Amino acid sequence: MSGPATRRRAAATLAPASPTREPSAAAPPPDKRPTPSKPAERRPFLLDFFPLETARDTRLSRFFDRLREGRLSTTRCPKEGTLLWPPRTACPSCHTEELEWVDLPDRGRIYAFSAVLAGAPLGMEAEVPFAVGLVDLDGVPLRLFGRIEGAPWTALHVGQSVRVEPFPVEEGRVFYRFRVAP
Amino acid sequence: MSGRSVAIVGGATTKFGLRPATWSELAQEVGAALFRAMPELRAEDVDSLFLGAAEPERFAFQSHVAPLAAEQMGLRPTRILQRTELACASGQAAIRSAYAAIAAGLSDVAVAVGVEKMNLPSMAEANSAMGCVMDRAWDGPHGATAPPFFAMVAQRHMLEYGTTEEQMAAVSEKNHRFANTNPNAQFFDKTFPRDKLLRLPLIAPPLRLGDCSSMTDGAAAVVLVAGERVARYTDRPAWVRGTGQYSDFHNLANAGSLTDWVGLRHASRQALSQAKISVRDLDLAEVHDCFTISEIIEYEALGLCAPGEGGAFAADGRGEVGGDLVVNPRGGLLGCGHPLGATGISQALEVFQQFAGAVPSTRQAPDAEWALVHNLSGSANVHSVMVYQGGGAV
Repeated sequence: MSGPATRRRAAATLAPASPTREPSAAAPPPDKRPTPSKPAERRPFLLDFFPLETARDTRLSRFFDRLREGRLSTTRCPKEGTLLWPPRTACPSCHTEELEWVDLPDRGRIYAFSAVLAGAPLGMEAEVPFAVGLVDLDGVPLRLFGRIEGAPWTALHVGQSVRVEPFPVEEGRVFYRFRVAP
Repeated sequence: MSGRSVAIVGGATTKFGLRPATWSELAQEVGAALFRAMPELRAEDVDSLFLGAAEPERFAFQSHVAPLAAEQMGLRPTRILQRTELACASGQAAIRSAYAAIAAGLSDVAVAVGVEKMNLPSMAEANSAMGCVMDRAWDGPHGATAPPFFAMVAQRHMLEYGTTEEQMAAVSEKNHRFANTNPNAQFFDKTFPRDKLLRLPLIAPPLRLGDCSSMTDGAAAVVLVAGERVARYTDRPAWVRGTGQYSDFHNLANAGSLTDWVGLRHASRQALSQAKISVRDLDLAEVHDCFTISEIIEYEALGLCAPGEGGAFAADGRGEVGGDLVVNPRGGLLGCGHPLGATGISQALEVFQQFAGAVPSTRQAPDAEWALVHNLSGSANVHSVMVYQGGGAV
């Protein structure tokens, strides 16, 4: 069950996130965060699935800035109104690069799930067993894949309510996952 | 089909499995096997080489692999030398490219070879390599690899159609039993009765170990030639009669239905219509059973049975010798293992050998004339199909 505050927020999620349209995905704000750790201290880039997030590395740094504020968002084509996932810098249909950022609902329901009981990628072995699933976000035509926390896989079921949860990743990064809703 | 006619006139494979051999050694081994199998093939006649290799950078720390493969095999291509990469379908991509080059008149004699070395000292590193087949930035961080994705496909198929673990085990039992007739298969000497399969550990529920194809080392090669050159090599060619492909998404969020493989319906329709045959005309099919549920859905998407009836198709033995058609007589990916770049080549080699009557009778499709080869890649987001005809005229 989602609380009243969550419902209010979910209802407003598809309005543009600020009154004036934000700069397009192609023009992120300057990055003021500290430089990443020295190469020797981080795991080899080619064995690290978590993306680089700063404006030095990606034109989608705004996604991670918003996620750090607790907001899952993506880009939308203003001409066609199509929600695009994952976030993009150009519309795959009309090819405009003037996309706008919109917040997404923070609740959804499990469409399908499984669990990784063996064969995890490097760096994730200690997390086994972990559950993953496809989640239909409430009220929008998006079905996102992600890790599901908060219950063992044996306690999950199709249709179960989950919420989006940002979590910190090494080197000041952030990513999202789902957590079984109370 | 426009352009010149093209046929497979021979081929060879290494043993598939956990091999004490490097990437380059596998390429040498398949080259030696190819020239042993085809004494009439002269290296100087091979003008082009297409190499299917999915992830040599990750599995073997090696790029620029096409000239390396040529050197290992003792070939000096003078027209076209290139690598094709389409993850699990890299081998078929090599064959399709060789076919296209010959049909267009750019090549007369081409080798399509697939080489993959997947077993590393660290399985976690190998699993990371499999993970970056997915959208690494958005699906990868969650731990996406093939087993959990196809497990969700299985869960939805069970939910929507009542497909059972026993029906999935029927696919695995059939393909492993066929692999017992194929000394080059990874599981040639291991038996998997259904009750044993249902007791194997869960890997990604509902998929158990026996529902999943393996990390495998291996290489395979076939020779494709222009129609007028076929008689120099064989009187039992496998003619390329149709080819089709369809790709509709990459990120898992854009998958649409997990249980209706629209891409395979489109790709097989393309290939069958070029061949001017119906799916009912097929005598055998080599389909991409990376997981048991894949073969079940492939029966449906190919039109061999109605949506939802794939489980029953397996359990009723309709893919056995003496059934509707023989499906995966080589032993499938489940029984042979799945060295990504070599799989599609190995399947085509099985078709050639079936047409030539060169396989054990326990897996021979009777009077085999028409065959279909299917590979999916990634999260079943791309489907590649070829249709072959045995014997007969150009």
